Order: sequence, then structure tokens, then C-alpha cells
Amino acid sequence: MEPKNTLPSETCSEYEALLEDYLAGDLAGPQANRVAEHLKSCAGCRDAFDSAAASTRFLRRSAPLLERAADPGPGFVRLVMAQIRAQREHQNIGQPVAAFAWRFAMSASLALALLIAYASQQGGQTNSDLAQLRSGDLFPDPATPATQGDVLRMVADTNHGK
Amino acid sequence: MPDVPKNVAASASAISLPLSRRGRADEERELVRMAQSGAESAFEELVRRHQHRVFGLVNSILRRREDVEDVAQQVFLKAFVSIKRFDLRAAFSTWLYKITVNECWDYLRKKKVRPLTYESDMSDEQVSRLDGIVSADRPPEQADDRAEVKEMLEWMLERLPEQDRELLVLKEIEGFSVQELSEILGLNVNTVKVRLFRARAKLMDTYRRRVAASGHSTGQSGG
Repeated sequence: MEPKNTLPSETCSEYEALLEDYLAGDLAGPQANRVAEHLKSCAGCRDAFDSAAASTRFLRRSAPLLERAADPGPGFVRLVMAQIRAQREHQNIGQPVAAFAWRFAMSASLALALLIAYASQQGGQTNSDLAQLRSGDLFPDPATPATQGDVLRMVADTNHGK
Repeated sequence: MPDVPKNVAASASAISLPLSRRGRADEERELVRMAQSGAESAFEELVRRHQHRVFGLVNSILRRREDVEDVAQQVFLKAFVSIKRFDLRAAFSTWLYKITVNECWDYLRKKKVRPLTYESDMSDEQVSRLDGIVSADRPPEQADDRAEVKEMLEWMLERLPEQDRELLVLKEIEGFSVQELSEILGLNVNTVKVRLFRARAKLMDTYRRRVAASGHSTGQSGG
């Protein structure tokens, strides 16, 4: 005969947590009575409760038969502590190297920043020099007289004023 | 580097006098405090105290005996690295078991494996023979029967959804309380109770269906 479907979806959701307590014997007084009354009147909860109770009995009887984890033994503690010490030592060795690497990186960055600043300053100066080279002070345009005297002088030079 | 005071170390040893639960908790808190300040010997004592439970927990979740020690080592290494961040108001054991559960799931994720599965099905003959044994009030005495009941239990647990199986195993086999499970798994206490109840009901339902499929009626009776 096919057994009734005792899937817990048939239980009343408000009672599920209480049913676990009831099963564990953690309920007393009015709450226990309330659950007992509900179990009498609700077939879904009653079936689920019967299944849960049967499972619990079976589990408690048969759980000792399950394979347990191997005993860690005193060797395990030694192994863990050796790994912790190794990790610490590794950190202790690594720390000065890391500190040196950081210092080196910082110094290199600083030097690079100074170099860039210097180069940009020098670059600015060169540009302004070039600007000066392009200006009329260094290479005055002979075709452009600066003063009235220059004009007269130019005119005299070209003999146009004769 | 600070060392464990003699009174703590002595009382912490396996041959210590029975301590009250509160006394033990205080003593453990002291060990944790010392481990936080860098005392390796205090941490060593904590490993000694919790190694069995961590091993059991890892074994229950992974069901791979060959990997239990590796994962348990990782658990304690992680605990050592992060012990300074541990809040002394909480229970060290719960914190440690939470690390254990997370480490197991990380391990399974990294290895891309499911916990070991028991693929073999049972014969109808086996099921009919087991029906009486499962329904009995006492554990089987015969070695053959014990082996078959164990096989049946593994078969039943295997057919539960992973979360249900884990919860049931931690509660009924590893002996964690509902409160502990709630803290370890980060679930509300009522959620743990509801899930546990459903997992129990599903377990027996699986069994009854198997028995029904073999053409036998179960000997199980109500509550």
C-alpha cells in the first residue's frame, strides 16, 4: 500500500517550529496542550509529526553506527602549531624585504617626481628661450622700423630721399 | 610572548578536575584573550580542546575522510590569523564552528565536488529485511544487521536535499543544539526548528516510499 504523502508542506506553517519543540520535549503547559490539540485535529501535521518522530528514533539508534572522523590525536595539534610558526617565520622573513621594497619604491617615486619637475622646469625655460629667439629683439625685422629715426635712416640708406 | 599561566594550562589539560560550565567558559575566554595577545601556547590549548569537534564537523559535511585533516588544519590556521578580530562576548566554539562550516563549503566549491554520495540502491530483499530492524526500539545487535542499518541511514540521508541533510547530521549526529546551529549557520532559531522538523519528516518519507516501492508495508507507527 502506498503510504500517505507526509511531506511537511501539508503541515500548518504556524505549528512547524512548535512541532520541533514538542518533538524535543521542550514544550510544557498550555503550549504543549495547544500542539497536542492541534495534532488531534490536523491530519497533515499528525502525519508529518509521526514521520519526524520515527526519523528521530531511527537516527538516534543508528547514528552511532555511522563512520566517525578519525581521531586527530596529539600529532594534529603539533602539526597545526608547526604551520602557524612557519607562517609567522615566513612573515618575519618577508617583513624586512617588504619594508625595504616599500622604501625603495618610495625613494624611486620621489626621485622620479623630482626628475619630472626639474625636466618640466627646464623644458619651460627652453621654450621661453625659443620664444625669445623668435622675438624681434634677437632678430629684428629690418623691414620694420622701430622709431622715426630708423625710418629716416632707412630712407637715407636706400637713397630714396635724394 | 605571553605564556599560558600554570593554573589555566593545568586545569585545561585532559586530566583536569571537572569544571562547571561557567568556569570552563571563563577559562576558555581567558585562553582566547591570551591567544589574541599572541600567546601560541594558549592557542595550542584551544586547538587541543576543539580538534575533535572540528574533525567531526568536517567529516559530517564533507564525508571524505581523506580530506578531513587538511580542512581541519585550514580551519585552525584561519582561526589563528583572525582571532584578534574575535569578539570576546561571543562563544569561541560557535565562532570556530562557523569558520569550519564556511571552510567546508569553500573547499567543496574550490574542488567543485559535492559531498561524497552513496549511489548504490538497495535491493527489495534488503529493504524488507531492514524494515523490521528500522522499526525496532533497539539498535541491531548482529554485525550484518548493523552494517545494513548503517547503509540504509546513509541511503536515506543521501536522498535529502543538501541543506536538510547537513542540518539533520549536525543536530542528531554531531549533537549541536538548535541555538548553536542558528549561530553557526546564521539562521533564525525558528527557521532552524522548521527546517529540522521538515528534514526529519522528509527522511522517514523517503524511507517509507522506498519500502512501499519494494512492496512491503512499513512497521512504523505514529509518534
